[in-house]
Amino acid sequence: MNQSVAVHDLSLPRGAFRLGPLSFTVPAGGRLAVVGPSGSGKTTLLRCLAGLERIAAGTIRIGDRLVADAHTHVPPDRRGLGLVFQDGALWPQMTALQHLRFAAPGLSRDAAQQLLHRAGLAAHANDKPATMSGGEAQRLGLCRALAPAPGVLLLDEPLRSVDVHQRDGLVLLLRTLADERNLTTILVTHDRDEALALATDLVVLRDGQLVEQGPARQLLRQPATAFTAAFLLGAACLPTTAASGDRLATPFGEFARPAGVDGDLRLVLLPGDVQLTGSGTTPTGRILTVLPGERGLRVRLALGDQIVETTADDPPPIGAEVALALCGTPRFLPWQQGSAS
Amino acid sequence: MSRLARIASPSRLPLLAALAFLAAFVLLPLGGLAAATVFGPDGFTLEAWRALAEDQNALTQLSASLQLGLAATTVSLLLGGLHAWVTIGRDLPGGAWLGPLGIAPLVVPPIFVAMGFADLASVSGFWPCALLLGVAHAPFVAVLAARGLRSVDGRAYEAAWLLRGRPRAERWLLRAIAPELLAGCLLAFLFTLADHGVPEFLTVKGKTWHTYAEGLFSRWSRRAVGTTFAELQSPITAALPFVAGLGCLLWAALRLRAAAPDRGVVRPLPLRPLGAWRWPALLAPAVYLAAGIGLPVFVLVRWVLGSAQRLEPMSLHYAQQSFHKAMDQGLPDLLHSLWLALGVAVFVVLLALPLARASARRWPVLDLLCALPAAIPAILLGIALVRSFHDEALLRRLGGDFYAGWGFALCGYAARFLPFAALTLSAQVRRQSIAAEEAGALVRRSPVTRALRLHLPPLLPATWTAGVLVFVLALRELDLAVVLPAANATAVRRLANAVHFQHEDWSGVIALLLLSLAVLLPLLPSLLAGRRLASLS
Repeated sequence: MNQSVAVHDLSLPRGAFRLGPLSFTVPAGGRLAVVGPSGSGKTTLLRCLAGLERIAAGTIRIGDRLVADAHTHVPPDRRGLGLVFQDGALWPQMTALQHLRFAAPGLSRDAAQQLLHRAGLAAHANDKPATMSGGEAQRLGLCRALAPAPGVLLLDEPLRSVDVHQRDGLVLLLRTLADERNLTTILVTHDRDEALALATDLVVLRDGQLVEQGPARQLLRQPATAFTAAFLLGAACLPTTAASGDRLATPFGEFARPAGVDGDLRLVLLPGDVQLTGSGTTPTGRILTVLPGERGLRVRLALGDQIVETTADDPPPIGAEVALALCGTPRFLPWQQGSAS
Repeated sequence: MSRLARIASPSRLPLLAALAFLAAFVLLPLGGLAAATVFGPDGFTLEAWRALAEDQNALTQLSASLQLGLAATTVSLLLGGLHAWVTIGRDLPGGAWLGPLGIAPLVVPPIFVAMGFADLASVSGFWPCALLLGVAHAPFVAVLAARGLRSVDGRAYEAAWLLRGRPRAERWLLRAIAPELLAGCLLAFLFTLADHGVPEFLTVKGKTWHTYAEGLFSRWSRRAVGTTFAELQSPITAALPFVAGLGCLLWAALRLRAAAPDRGVVRPLPLRPLGAWRWPALLAPAVYLAAGIGLPVFVLVRWVLGSAQRLEPMSLHYAQQSFHKAMDQGLPDLLHSLWLALGVAVFVVLLALPLARASARRWPVLDLLCALPAAIPAILLGIALVRSFHDEALLRRLGGDFYAGWGFALCGYAARFLPFAALTLSAQVRRQSIAAEEAGALVRRSPVTRALRLHLPPLLPATWTAGVLVFVLALRELDLAVVLPAANATAVRRLANAVHFQHEDWSGVIALLLLSLAVLLPLLPSLLAGRRLASLS
């Protein structure tokens, strides 16, 4: 039976790194993706949920049951979770069928075969992981996690070791199996597309801290932080400095500071927010790539240490320095929550 | 669940039993020796230690041991290292089977090598002794160097070759296997230092100097003839810091090998041409195998045929007589050796598995504790065990007949050879995927089921290798057999004595049967399951 997951003020120090405090809730049947760059604490968070790490403070509840706090630690095998590991983490000595029957002692041979069949592994039932491709191994990892009918499915970058051609198939399988069971799913990934393909809600992490959380559509449409805009939308975030009066200096000139927002603001440039101009002196960008797009050619340029994207019908050659101009109203956002007051 | 209940849970019993064994048969005996220093008549004073440091006899023996160790290790490095270097990944004629044969001389007890050489030439000086021990311990270097060469990624070698040319790539390769070479050399060095049997055997051939291990035993064996307590204690207690240093070195070398990155799926080294040296290079494996196994076997066969009984001509008829004599006089000793070695191998593997898992996953310091007995001269470990279980009144009372029985010999041998199995297995556990074990932790199965179904199967090949290694080492052990009462009747011990009494004929038969047993077990997987012999190394 699917279950909710509630995390409250979870905290785990690891030397100089500290995860949390984090709080979020996933309702029964919900789909949450925890996203963030490498080293942001995503996998550690997942391991805490699974019971593979003891938390220092806060609480984790699965359904109505408290499974972890500073004094309580329900062992991993008693939490009713399934976990799909990054690289499969399969048992080399067992066949696919043995994996499932070991993971779920009550599972009949027919039911195990059926599950393998659903995952497209019927022909590999008696094969060991060494003979499987990355995609097949990951499908088996998914079947193993689902075999005991867990209440919550945890996914640790499940597409990472799968080649591009097999990704769509695996995404479809994950969605189908999770939908059929109406499973509560928590995915961690640094890949935006993977997160958006599998989840409806997002939690954005950076350096162990929660940057932003909410429905995926809302975060995509209206990110509250420059970090989220950069991570989810591929926005360039240019630093600003205070200019005379209540104005902000940017590479594109000075602009009025948005009302009621102080602190470290960034000029957020989404794809298409700049255009190439034939003349002008500042700022300039160097063309990195030119690729075909839906409306003309997609041009990616280096602007300082940021990458901006725009479209053009007839861009200069790769490597050329071109002048850039803003289109529309500039958008200023704090780098992350708490960096603006 | 209370803390005590968690500690004593059934899943931890094997580890607790192994730790108890380690405490009783390694830490307690050595701690007893250390305590004798502190609470002895002179107390733990600087003067007492200065007196020990100025004991010229002990210093001379220590110096002789160190020189012998260095010289023999050099010989081992040259023979074993060269064997691996020219047979693994080379176009040497017959290299495919000469390489795996590098492990073969390991089955020959050093005393057999000494008897073989002594039968053909005078081996009374320092250098012949160093040569003998170097030959006897060269397999450690050969096996570990071969293992290193097999685990180097061929693509990395090719990258070095493309960038810097063949000679530089070869130097890169040598550096890449340096940890394995170092570990092999250290094992050869430790075994040479610890060897009491071969230098003692050569004494009867006219040797005029003594090693430290010999000194330990001669002082110990004079207990009953009025030697003072201080005289008796001095070499033993003075050995302890020496032993601790060696233990640390051994641990460092083996950890270095274990810590070598898990190379995962690697491409083997490309076949490196020997060029004009292709045929001359055959000399290296030929000398290595001839000295390590060919010559001893040749001499043993001659003995069986009657070479030592100079009044009789050598013949097959005499060999038949030798065989009958051996069955009459040596078979019980051979069977005693066989059962003891098998028992030790099984017991050690059972102890080593929980220790290896605990050291690899939780307490690396266990590696150091486990390695300690390997660094001690076997004769000293034997003396320490006897002191603890015989001389100490309380333990003698508690132990009853245990001291004189087969079980005590089994435990003594197990303490001696536990390091080899525990370190081999802990290195293997470190190579296993932690994530796969964590995946097992999520499954609702008992700890015992998880251990048997998930943790043990990937370790089985290494467990077999460790068991075989311990079996072979136990079968050829002489030094402990001299000290532990129930081990006095092993075949190797009887053989070392028998040759002094012109019993070479039937001793040769027993020795050849012993070698056959030592070879048979490692060959079993190849015979039954088609497993490659090379996998043992």
